[in-house]
Amino acid sequence: MKRKGKKFQKKGQSSLNKLSLFQKNEGRFNKSCPFSVKNAPVIDYKNINLLKKYISENNKILSSKITAVSSGKQKKLTREIKKAKILGLI
Amino acid sequence: MSFYENTLVTKQDLGKTELEKIKEKYNEIINNNSGKVIKIEEWGLLNLARKIKRYKKGFYIHYKFEGSKETLNEINKKIKVDSSIIRHLVVKYKNLDTKNEYFKKEK
Repeated sequence: MKRKGKKFQKKGQSSLNKLSLFQKNEGRFNKSCPFSVKNAPVIDYKNINLLKKYISENNKILSSKITAVSSGKQKKLTREIKKAKILGLI
Repeated sequence: MSFYENTLVTKQDLGKTELEKIKEKYNEIINNNSGKVIKIEEWGLLNLARKIKRYKKGFYIHYKFEGSKETLNEINKKIKVDSSIIRHLVVKYKNLDTKNEYFKKEK
């Protein structure tokens, strides 16, 4: 369920932006979805360098709350990450 | 007819001649069973992310081909019996892009 209203807009700020206190500032994610722009990178199970950004240290898939990927693209991401895990690439 | 991609992961302790045998074997299997190989890529010896069947490394061979239901059945049958292959994955695509190679060696 998605909440609408002012509370929801605060989502991307400060605390949720980082995974932990020790994460570097380079790894911060944007507020808007990086895949719904023009000339966006292709989500594919062979494109490992891209998929590695959306995985935690323990090889878990990051939630879209943190990464701000849109829901359709998030579904595609999880499918491709799971394919790569079968082959032992990630 | 539709497009497919097939990746094979083989054992790490194979010689060069054995690898080429495997490569040609599946090339012929696809071509003989109402299919057509478009491109073959070799990704070389890569580290596995975790151990699979006691192996730490694996040779990756990647096929891009056009085929039907019969070819898929035939490939899956042959791979199940083959003991030198650890894992495999077949993915269906609407359009194949043959330009991008994510595992090209830079040197």
